[in-house]
Amino acid sequence: MNQLRATAKTLGIHTTLLVMIVISSVPFYWVAQNSIKFTRDTIRSTPTLWGFDVTADPYRKFWFRNSEQNMWEVGLFILALAAAVLVLVWASRRAETTWPWNLGVVITLWIALVAFPRFFDMNREFDYFINSVFVTVLTVIISISIGLLAGYALARYSGLSGAVILIAALGFRALPRTAFVLPYFIVAKELGILDSRLVIVLALVAVNQPFTIWMLRSFFMEVPREIEEAAMMDGATRLQAFRMVVIPMMWPGIIATSLFTMLLAYNEFLFVRVLTVTEWTLPVAISALTGGESTTTLTEAAAASVSITLPIVIVIIVFQKHLVKGLGAGAVKG
Amino acid sequence: MNKRTFAGFAWPSVAIMSVLMVFPLVTTVYLSFNRIFLRDLSSREWIGFENYTDVLQDPDFWAALRLTLLFVAVVVPVHIILGLGIANLLDRVTRGRGFYMAALLLPFIVTPVVSTLLVRDLFDRGGLLSWLWEVLTDDPFVIDSGNVKWVIILHGIWSITPFAVITFFAGIQILPEERIEAADMDGAGFWAKQRFVVIPHLRSLIIFVLLISIMDAYRVFDSSFVFGQSVGESAYTLSVYNFNTALSAQIGRVGKGNAIAVLIVIGIFAVLIPFLRKSYQDQIAER
Repeated sequence: MNQLRATAKTLGIHTTLLVMIVISSVPFYWVAQNSIKFTRDTIRSTPTLWGFDVTADPYRKFWFRNSEQNMWEVGLFILALAAAVLVLVWASRRAETTWPWNLGVVITLWIALVAFPRFFDMNREFDYFINSVFVTVLTVIISISIGLLAGYALARYSGLSGAVILIAALGFRALPRTAFVLPYFIVAKELGILDSRLVIVLALVAVNQPFTIWMLRSFFMEVPREIEEAAMMDGATRLQAFRMVVIPMMWPGIIATSLFTMLLAYNEFLFVRVLTVTEWTLPVAISALTGGESTTTLTEAAAASVSITLPIVIVIIVFQKHLVKGLGAGAVKG
Repeated sequence: MNKRTFAGFAWPSVAIMSVLMVFPLVTTVYLSFNRIFLRDLSSREWIGFENYTDVLQDPDFWAALRLTLLFVAVVVPVHIILGLGIANLLDRVTRGRGFYMAALLLPFIVTPVVSTLLVRDLFDRGGLLSWLWEVLTDDPFVIDSGNVKWVIILHGIWSITPFAVITFFAGIQILPEERIEAADMDGAGFWAKQRFVVIPHLRSLIIFVLLISIMDAYRVFDSSFVFGQSVGESAYTLSVYNFNTALSAQIGRVGKGNAIAVLIVIGIFAVLIPFLRKSYQDQIAER
């Protein structure tokens, strides 16, 4: 009898969770199926959930200038890329020193990004994608670099100014973008640096610093002081101890914080919209596609949505454990 | 660590926050007392509190404030309760947890502009939910100026609940097993365990999520902006109202926009100062 009740309970839990998953993913299913439909099938009075004709037209229209682009070639290119990356990842898992293989993954992706517009005649949207990648990568690198230094200092220093900086940063975290963006706009306009990707990166690094230093600090608090003190006893300077002893223990924290920074930079809309004229990133490009007077079809907008979402989903799925653990470690302490 | 080393490590971060946050904030306050237009930024004139009286007499400001407060008042508590519930369920399954987690994370990681479009497509004519609504009530659901606020709120709950779920889940994971067992021994039921063991254990995390979500909900921009493109002013939150006043080509009143920004900042700090004071005292006590 008890056994039966336990089974029923487990079943109930799984059912509830499945319902939650349906709620969280229905919009994704809907957009994915819209992105491979013909327009005639999207304007029927009763939605066709399956059994409709499948097409790659929306993707072709969104990404390629050539309206005759053979999508099988594109698929083959992406498949080859995925295979190359998977082989490198597989090798990295078996190897003792993983960094050369991981570097290989980065280089492969970079080459693919450069090679893509040489093989295919791409729309402007591909430039926006490149801008998105550029802004995201640079924001993560700069944020984490200066955030690591400050987070470490804030974890180890016991003076009053440390507390003041932390609380001021918490206050900054609360400020809306609109409190900064007008001065940025005015100054950038007067200096003639409006419409530059670097201004976006700087703005994103700044608004992300409060979060970065709080999160990294909580990870540094987990690293025992004795370890670096021992290294300094052996004659290392503070900076050497930091680089050689502390940083290698920080990788989970670095990855988790990088993921959150990546989401922030890749998803940013307001700053890019105000501070750029042509150097858009994808979120602004998509809102322009679907705004008031645009004539973009539903299917093309859906293809755009799927295209911008896929890269981030892949990265998060690969690093999911770090994200969840990182939030735990960061939040529980902070 | 001595003061000099501390300064040596911390200065790049402090410098970038000072130059790119403190300085713009001061500029915003200064400009809010000026008459200045987008089409000619170089001409400005000191007008005292005129921008502020202008904002406070603008019915659009009060409408945006009402929508923003409604958004915060619904999204924050609902997503915390949902987050606690789902985190509890996740803690009690072992099989398929990674899969559930990945699927639940989706709404949180997707670009907000995009997720708003996804939700809009579901509710708009031809969308799945609009059609379901039609099957149930004979009228298709169409997003209009009356119901758009509820769609924005639904989207808000949908997109930030995963953050609460993974935070609370991580917290429950480090809850010592013995405390649950002790509660079981005392014959505590599910709700009693929640009330006396789990929630007290998660107290600091709940405050953390509360704080973060109040900040983020209060300045919500992207979804309101996207819906504003199709239904207009009834979708505007404070941030979008602020943006349009200052930066839309037709209005472009930068001085007034800055006054709105200052009022928004005053609003959030009125709520946050007790929290900030408490955190400051904790920081001092830690030292």
